[in-house]
Amino acid sequence: MKKKLLAMLLSAAMVMSLAACGGGDDNKGNDGGSSNDNPPAASGNDDQGSAPATGNDDQGSAPADIDYGSGVITIWVAEAVTEFTQQKADEFFAAHPEMAGYTVDIQPTGEGDAAGNIIADVEGGADIYGFAQDQLGRLVSAGALTPITGDYASFVESENDAGAVNAAKMGNQIYAFPLTSDNGYFLYYDSSVVTDPSTLDQILADCSAAGKNFYMEINSGWYQTAFFFGTGCTLTYDTDDSGALTSSNITYATDNGVKALKAMIALAGNSTFVNGSSLNSATNVGAIIDGTWDSGLAKDIFGENYACAKLPTFTVDGETFQMGGFGGFKLLGVKPQTEQGKMLVCLALAQYLTNAETQLARYEAVGWGPSNLTAQGSEAIQADEALAALAAQLANAIPQGQYPDAYWQDATSLGDDVIAGTYNGMSDDELMNVLQGFQELEQSYVGQ
Amino acid sequence: MEKKKKGLGKKILGALQVPVKDCKEIGQTFAHGDWKTKVSFLIMGFGPLMRGQILRGIAFLATEIAFIWYMVAVGAKYLKDIGTLGTVQGGFDENYVYTYGDNSFFILLFGVLSLFVLVAFLFAWRVNVRVNMNEEKRLKEGRKLATVKQDLHSLLDEHFDKTLLAVPVTGVFLFLLLPIVFMICVAFTNYDANHQSPTNLFTWVGLENFKNIFSLSTGGFGKTFVTVLNWTLVWAFCATFLTYFLGMAVAILINKKGIKFKKMWRTILVMTIAIPQFVSLLYVSKMFAADGLVNSYLMKWGWIKTALPFWTKASWARPTILLINLWVGIPYVMLITTGLLMNIPEELYESAKIDGASPFQTFRKITLPYMLFVTGPYLLTQFTGNLNNFNIIYLLSQGKPQSLELTGGAGYTDLLVTWLYKMTVQDTNYKMAAVIGIMVFLVTAVVSVAVYNILPSVRDEEGFQ
Repeated sequence: MKKKLLAMLLSAAMVMSLAACGGGDDNKGNDGGSSNDNPPAASGNDDQGSAPATGNDDQGSAPADIDYGSGVITIWVAEAVTEFTQQKADEFFAAHPEMAGYTVDIQPTGEGDAAGNIIADVEGGADIYGFAQDQLGRLVSAGALTPITGDYASFVESENDAGAVNAAKMGNQIYAFPLTSDNGYFLYYDSSVVTDPSTLDQILADCSAAGKNFYMEINSGWYQTAFFFGTGCTLTYDTDDSGALTSSNITYATDNGVKALKAMIALAGNSTFVNGSSLNSATNVGAIIDGTWDSGLAKDIFGENYACAKLPTFTVDGETFQMGGFGGFKLLGVKPQTEQGKMLVCLALAQYLTNAETQLARYEAVGWGPSNLTAQGSEAIQADEALAALAAQLANAIPQGQYPDAYWQDATSLGDDVIAGTYNGMSDDELMNVLQGFQELEQSYVGQ
Repeated sequence: MEKKKKGLGKKILGALQVPVKDCKEIGQTFAHGDWKTKVSFLIMGFGPLMRGQILRGIAFLATEIAFIWYMVAVGAKYLKDIGTLGTVQGGFDENYVYTYGDNSFFILLFGVLSLFVLVAFLFAWRVNVRVNMNEEKRLKEGRKLATVKQDLHSLLDEHFDKTLLAVPVTGVFLFLLLPIVFMICVAFTNYDANHQSPTNLFTWVGLENFKNIFSLSTGGFGKTFVTVLNWTLVWAFCATFLTYFLGMAVAILINKKGIKFKKMWRTILVMTIAIPQFVSLLYVSKMFAADGLVNSYLMKWGWIKTALPFWTKASWARPTILLINLWVGIPYVMLITTGLLMNIPEELYESAKIDGASPFQTFRKITLPYMLFVTGPYLLTQFTGNLNNFNIIYLLSQGKPQSLELTGGAGYTDLLVTWLYKMTVQDTNYKMAAVIGIMVFLVTAVVSVAVYNILPSVRDEEGFQ
């Protein structure tokens, strides 16, 4: 009897601690702009031979026989790619003996956290770090990035897809090396539940019939735009080269905005709807709007019924719209350096870590979708279901530009109000007032 | 009351007179002192050294040298800039090599430290003057001065308190006082996401942030502050007294004669304490989510059609948090009160019974006054603890739901302290966070002092002896 009780207690404790892990991740997924920072778990290493060095690409006017000096270069990358990055850095220094005075110290830091950490202490932060592209504005205005110019700039512009290049730019100045082009969202679904993933109504009906949940994080400024951009609203900001917002283009307070808001209200009222985008804390999933970082998990959960598609269409007042949204990117930035030698080494290393061979190798190692055009054209990438769905969706998405921190908070507030039912039963005019308030709030951040 | 006021007035007047008296004494010491004393005004410890008090003299001299060295090496350059918090911004040269400019953060931090050092030095100088005066007086009276040995011995004897307190006081100053003063200073600057050191400068803005927190215009924090403050007070009050009375009720229930398996009931309740809150609260939070256990079972059984908005509607989230807090809080109160209840003299209950008092009357007239008397201070600490109960709120709801009605990323279940946390960690809005921090202190201090003075255990110390 006693033994049985003990066993029960132990299993209960285990279940709880498991649930706690799930809950923890949930929090991470909910904090506004950094919701796109869950990379898949590491799955082994690749065995690519050392790639050839890429030309001579010194930034500015560095002499050819410069003494690069020596020291330690700290690199922050997501935990999943620390080993991979170490291996690639070793290859880099093997190919560049003149820079071998430096050693690398690679520390695992998620792309969502890197910006916050480096802003808290720029001088003590990493020399090279990966970050989610929505953090670029914050980093530039905090002076935590070295501008990329000269040959490096043309490397970024010619080798990467247009969205990724824009994402690395502030005004006309490039500030970082594109790392991936896979921070977008699309639909994962259980093909035994969802018969037709092309319309939202059908997905909801199928989920309801099967008693399954439909997940979409409509209180996140990132996912919410699927509705607003879908009906043709815009919400973008222009920045100058230093990252300050100079003007805004916001058309939420329009008939189309009201339609999008009505679609969100209708979705929030559906019994199968659950607000969320993190597969590992989701239960009873019929379909979920999520990104490539959860593809491994989705395969485990859906098994042979695993399927991906671009986002569905939604219908408001008899009008049908294709869901839009953001395309997002991961970038690799270099911290401002006080010594020229070290700066040149950092830039060369950062470029090496983002060139075509490395991006392809990284895809094979951990499944991150490349931003490099050559890598994108390879067979392996073309055959990936999740990346294919993402590519189809990216055609309807806009590259995510720069947004003030407050936007993510306000969008969460708007979404929370929708979910709380604050706007239920409101007339179109009242909804227009809500959006008018929202639009004015977002416009007020320009010039601050 | 009248008496008290007079006492206070006198105290303030007395405090004002201290510097006046001090100045007078310093002046007299200089005027009537010999040349050794006069030189000591400039070269600290000169007098004691000349009069043979080597140890004291060296100590004073060393203090002065250390002070001058600190000011020249570190302090002066920060003190010089403390009015502006830096003027030179960092930047790139034509080769994109970066040079760091002034760092407002360090200027403020070391500026504040240097001010403290300055005050400490003035104090040491004042002591130096007094020592000179006393020595002269002693010599005039024909008494001998203390030897080095006597001085050292006094540190273990009549000055033993100072020896013991030296280390703790330094620690309190460095790790408590300095950060607090620094934080208070931040509340008067524009240190936020757009003014981040080391690359950007921040500067003094006076009372701007305090105006903002009470401003009711769009984008102002006024309305949000009032909402959050109200909920903080309501939460602290409900959380404290609901758990208190229900916990006591549970304890009384279990204590009742005729209840079987008393130990088992207590053990079951204490189990909630045994599991760390980080684990249990996150689990419970998930349980009440839209796709959590509670909602999915209710839906499975066909009792509800759509999920109950436990965390998504303010009017549901607040009571849910209070309820879950009961589950966490009752066992603690039960444990504490169980022992106390057994302490109440049995005769009181017996005589009440003979007089024909009902159970409720005995509770109200005997149990409750006794309990309030003994647990009064506990209640107060609980209340102030609940005002800042970060764990429960942040682990359960993260302060959500947010709303466009509220600014600064606040949600309807945010306490001041969780709001402060979000502001610093998510929004890097240090200036407003510092203001909120000051507000938290004010609220806690005012409530504590007010409640402390009405506690039965303070007003009537001998009530139950």
